[in-house]
Amino acid sequence: MTRTHSRPLQQLGIALRILAAIPGGWAFSWGFVACGTAALVALGAPFHDAETALLMLGLLVFAGVFLWSFAARSVLRVCAVLVGGALLFNAAALLLQRAILS
Amino acid sequence: MFTSFRQSMAWLHTWFGLALGYVLMACFFFGALSVFDREIDRWALPETRFAPQPMPSFDKVLLPAFARLEADPADYALNMPALHDAAKGPQTPRQELPPDEYWAYTTHRDPVLAIGAGFRVPQPKDPGLENHIHANATIDPRSGAAVPSDQLKIGSQWFYPMHYSLNWQWQNMGIFTVGLAGLVMLVALVSGVIMHRKFFREFFTFRPQKQTQRSLLDLHNLTGVVALPFHFFFAFTGLLIFAGFYYFPVSQFQLKPLHDQHEIIEARETGLPHQRAGIPAPLASVDAMMAEAKRRWAARDMAGEVGFLQLHHLGDANGYVSIYRAGSDRVALVGEAIHFKASSGEVLREEPPRAAVPALNEFLTGLHLQHFEHWLLRWLYVLGGLLGCACIATGFIFFVEKRKRQHAAAGSPGARVVDALAVGCVTGMVIAAVGMLVVNRLLPAGLSGKGEWEQQIFWGLWLLAFVHAALRGAPVAQARINPAWREQCWAIAALALAAVLLNWLSTGDHLLQTIILEPYWAVAGVDLSLLAAAGLAALAARRLARREQRALLSPSAAPETEVVHA
Amino acid sequence: MPEAFWLLLACLLSLAGMAWLALAMAVHWEQVMLQPAARAAGVRLLLRGAGACALALAAAACLLADRPSMALLVWLMLLAASALTVALTLAWRPALLRGLCALRG
Repeated sequence: MTRTHSRPLQQLGIALRILAAIPGGWAFSWGFVACGTAALVALGAPFHDAETALLMLGLLVFAGVFLWSFAARSVLRVCAVLVGGALLFNAAALLLQRAILS
Repeated sequence: MFTSFRQSMAWLHTWFGLALGYVLMACFFFGALSVFDREIDRWALPETRFAPQPMPSFDKVLLPAFARLEADPADYALNMPALHDAAKGPQTPRQELPPDEYWAYTTHRDPVLAIGAGFRVPQPKDPGLENHIHANATIDPRSGAAVPSDQLKIGSQWFYPMHYSLNWQWQNMGIFTVGLAGLVMLVALVSGVIMHRKFFREFFTFRPQKQTQRSLLDLHNLTGVVALPFHFFFAFTGLLIFAGFYYFPVSQFQLKPLHDQHEIIEARETGLPHQRAGIPAPLASVDAMMAEAKRRWAARDMAGEVGFLQLHHLGDANGYVSIYRAGSDRVALVGEAIHFKASSGEVLREEPPRAAVPALNEFLTGLHLQHFEHWLLRWLYVLGGLLGCACIATGFIFFVEKRKRQHAAAGSPGARVVDALAVGCVTGMVIAAVGMLVVNRLLPAGLSGKGEWEQQIFWGLWLLAFVHAALRGAPVAQARINPAWREQCWAIAALALAAVLLNWLSTGDHLLQTIILEPYWAVAGVDLSLLAAAGLAALAARRLARREQRALLSPSAAPETEVVHA
Repeated sequence: MPEAFWLLLACLLSLAGMAWLALAMAVHWEQVMLQPAARAAGVRLLLRGAGACALALAAAACLLADRPSMALLVWLMLLAASALTVALTLAWRPALLRGLCALRG
């Protein structure tokens, strides 16, 4: 997007970025925490150690994607990555969990 | 829409900082007060002004105090119908519920002791749950006598929760709002460092004699940069403390099966019984267990006092006693638990040293929760918190200064609104906090519901400050200074002086008494801080008056704003 | 009270360290000494070294007073407090810092 866009389109862009940064970033980092925890448990780490490590990383990831939501050139790519990533991570967490528990 | 990376960071910093800065301001200010929450409690509850006490004898003091506890009526009314299985018979009356759990908690700064009990619901719907109706109390550990429970501990029960939840309990909205603010703090720090072109070259730079916008930005950068590690780690660790429970509770959602399986494995490994056996059993001497725990800690080169004591499954053969060390000599929180069999006093389990990840976590949360004994570091934390406030406040004022002439010319109310909110949030917050202390000394100790009154007046004063700032804001619309800044500074000075005087009149504890005759630093410290606040506020008010005068005399000269609020 | 002694020393060292680091910068040197910084390039280099050493020694003093985890926190917070003190001194009473440099010659 460039400066040549009209004002309502700019405002839509900002609104999308805010949505991407807060709920989008939250869903993405939630998935990251869940998937990472399950992966570490699959590798043999105790559950709470894995969870704690991922919570620390997850907060940094959240802050990172928050910044990226505004720094990135394309809003649509940001939305696609965050929504897609959230879905993939959460699905992977569930699959990993099923594999560990079976 | 953003033409450059730097511009996108500036947009983020400005608008998220403005939107959540008000919340962050409260987090930093009440956080700084929370560093001395126990001391503020002593100031506000004069009958608890005595020296901090170690965990008292369980057998002589605590057991009789626990025996006097009764299940909390409110908790009973709320939770008993949900937990009790009506098919098995009528509800057990509140006073007849059998105790299942006792706990007591103290730190090196507590004269009084917090204790509590969990009463068992005898006929529960789901026997697998904890099924507890709770009771909480505060006692004088020297005698075991209860401290009146309807008094508000202004430091640890009002300022401290204000700092992390804004005392907004509905749906935990306060905790989530503060969480978003914490995240925005991290983001604002990163974007702020990116925007700041001369991070090292202007590390020591503050030019008060330059024009207002320049010196404001200097101060904003200075307070942000010198305490950057503090700002970053306090925002980060604050988020971390709540992350597992509120922000990313994955172990209670999609990973719950994995979590539950781990709990079963862990319970098997530790050998600590999860359930009652149903066989009555006596209680051995808990004093002997505490002595044994202290001996074992000393043998591991971590001699210390008991900080937290918990008895599980009371009166049952599966009962056990968990004893935790008070973490006053290190950053990591209470720990090194030793568990004893309640009926015999034999050691069931001594918790091994932590692995790397939990140890890091305990360090990070411990550095925020600060149970350690280190007065210099405590004061440095206060300084860090106030630097955070100064950073945010200068950010607000910079926002206003940058736009007010433009807005004045265009007739837009933007700068006036932001300025009024900033006044209410900077000086208004201090007025509310100090005013609450004044009211605490004015209301009689025996007044029922005194704590409620104090809370209402706290909100009332704060609201009043916002209204006052809004009503007096007209000059901002003409690109001048809002006189509310000056007037509220005078209000702070007057209230802080009044608080010190009222403390003297109502308790006889004047500064000579608390510093020299019978040193009691908790109260002396609060009084001295109030006096310092009064002095600073009066100084700020006088300078503001001078600048307002100057602006009136030479309307063409740039009007300036004082920035000493902290 | 050996801890109190080490902590006091740590405070003084970090304050001196920050002041020397500030004086090593051309703009602050001129502000304090009221003479061109270019003439004192050698002294300023020396000051930079002294400042870094003082901050390192402050860390050592913190380590002597407390356990390492605690010492790290005290040191970081002392750096913040000292940098602020130096910045405010430079803004309002720069002449006070002149003596600190006389110590080093």
